[in-house]
Amino acid sequence: MIQQQFESSRKKWSSILIIAILLTIATFIINVSLGSVSIPLDLVLKHFIGLTIDNESWALILSNFRLPKALTAILVGSALGISGLQMQTLFRNALAGPYILGISSGAGLGVAIAIFLGFYVGGFLELSGIGRSWLLVCAAGVGSFLILIVISLAAIRLKDSVTLLIIGLMFGAATGAIVSILQFFSQAENIQAYVIWSFGSLGSLSWSELIVFIPIILIGLLASLLLSKHLNALLLGENYASSLGLNLKRTRILIILNTSILAGTVTAFCGPIAFFGVALPHVARMLFNTTNHLLLSPLVIFMGAFLMLVFDTIAQLPGFEATLPINAVTALFGAPFVIFILLKKKNLNYSYQS
Amino acid sequence: MSLFNTKELTIGYRQKSGNKILQKNLALTINSGEIVSLMGQNGVGKTTFIKTISGLLEPLSGDVFYNGTSLQKISNQDLSKKLSLVLTEKPFSFNMSVLELVALGRHPYSNWIGILSNEDKEVIEWAITETNTNYLADQKLYQLSDGQLQKVMIARALAQQTDLIFLDEPAAHLDLHNKIEVMMLLRKIAKQGKSILISTHDMQISTQLSDKLWLFNFNEPTRIGAPEDLILDGSLEQTLYLKDYGYDMIHGVVNIPQTGLEISVIGPEKEKFWTEQALKRNEFQVKNGASLSIVIKQGKFLLNDEEFSTITSLLGALKNT
Repeated sequence: MIQQQFESSRKKWSSILIIAILLTIATFIINVSLGSVSIPLDLVLKHFIGLTIDNESWALILSNFRLPKALTAILVGSALGISGLQMQTLFRNALAGPYILGISSGAGLGVAIAIFLGFYVGGFLELSGIGRSWLLVCAAGVGSFLILIVISLAAIRLKDSVTLLIIGLMFGAATGAIVSILQFFSQAENIQAYVIWSFGSLGSLSWSELIVFIPIILIGLLASLLLSKHLNALLLGENYASSLGLNLKRTRILIILNTSILAGTVTAFCGPIAFFGVALPHVARMLFNTTNHLLLSPLVIFMGAFLMLVFDTIAQLPGFEATLPINAVTALFGAPFVIFILLKKKNLNYSYQS
Repeated sequence: MSLFNTKELTIGYRQKSGNKILQKNLALTINSGEIVSLMGQNGVGKTTFIKTISGLLEPLSGDVFYNGTSLQKISNQDLSKKLSLVLTEKPFSFNMSVLELVALGRHPYSNWIGILSNEDKEVIEWAITETNTNYLADQKLYQLSDGQLQKVMIARALAQQTDLIFLDEPAAHLDLHNKIEVMMLLRKIAKQGKSILISTHDMQISTQLSDKLWLFNFNEPTRIGAPEDLILDGSLEQTLYLKDYGYDMIHGVVNIPQTGLEISVIGPEKEKFWTEQALKRNEFQVKNGASLSIVIKQGKFLLNDEEFSTITSLLGALKNT
């Protein structure tokens, strides 16, 4: 009887996963075909399987703009979702997300310093597009990496996870304060540049950046699948996890490293994309109600990819020249959706209770 | 060689102002197939002891041995195959299904990514069957009662396939029915050759289920022995301070001081016992041959020719005299 239950749950899980993968592929093709210029679907497919299409500018748009953006959306969605899931389990908190430890604040501080001080040193605004975007990427990367190191050091010293959470929040507050001071003494152009960065953007990555971005995120996603077993043990609480043979400190540091690298890389390249990482794990649990991370993680990865593609399709406003900030779109369309599901389910039993 | 023993073990907490010692020089042994109960008042160090010997806390000094190997030389991974725990704390994710919970017991054995082998699944099925929780397998933990939760937590420990199981207050919050069910379950497990250590305040568990008692005292050495020996030499009463409140070890009742009217009760054994119980509770003195008497006939209580159908009404009349 138990064997049958394992079997039926595995069947249901595979069918949901297959649907998520198919949806991701379909949305990917639609996403690429839509934009300020619509490109017919058959031509998009032709282009991807290597056939030349007559319209050269369309081919150029597809390979240099649409394809990098869609790939970015896929990786950003999965990376944020999986980091959110890991943080929610590590901190036993349904409201935790990828940025709970202050990663985005660190990145924000790095970017703020680069923009505001760059102005005084001279020439930030004169930097050309590519140089400027790499400068921001490096500044955000260094900022989130510093936070990561401090948090990891704290994790080695501290015994419990919740204290870490508070330290993360304190970092957020402190870095936010520094950014405010920097803004206070800055010119309007710089403040605008910072605000635009904080809106988040999926479309700013070119192939030269993707060569760095793709491998880091893929390694992070793979690592999070390998951490599933340990995350499952943590669901019992730390004493039980330890009695199941888990090395608590090592596991905690691995999870923090994994999340920080994923969320830090996303923030460095695309800006802080809030909300998504908090909400996605809940959506995945609503579809397939399990606490087993080995099953949950692949679902989160593909649903993250699918939903981020959907949001990006909305953000690029098919038929218009303008693009909405991705940060606004995820929250604007995501929040009502989550509220709707919560009201329909009437309670939070599907997630965490203490 | 014993399955488990401690040598000059001192437990407690490290503090900046000096160590707080709870118990010192513990020399305790558990043999294969034994059920041992650990008793003592709150704060005497029972939970600290369980956490120390399971490697969750550092001992202040001394050592713990499993099959003769020092705990310090056993890796966390290896210890998880020798010892499983049922603690008082609850799992923090209540969205887990019972099957998922019991499957976590296979954590030390499953491969590096956590996929269960057929053997793992067979052990899970065995653990669930052994604890009679098959009907709960697809329920979520938040749907379970306290008694059911305790049983599935024991199933999880069984799935870990260890020779030793430590339980911290397994009967707390349980009603009589569930307590007895858990007791019988533990007996069955011990008969299969597993050793069980229970930290408990429960008299039935300690005296009727255990082969051996360990009594932890404040500032005094631990007393060890068969439950009956420790009752007869007064150790149990002394450890738990039962005498001060007139606790009757043989009947398991508290003697309330009786200063009221003298009353005798005549009637069938069961009714007589409970009528006397009600009188004692209300501080009347029960005495054979007292001038005031209650006669019980066909379920009716006769007092001074007046008839009462319930003890409540009888007590009401007595209180007015």
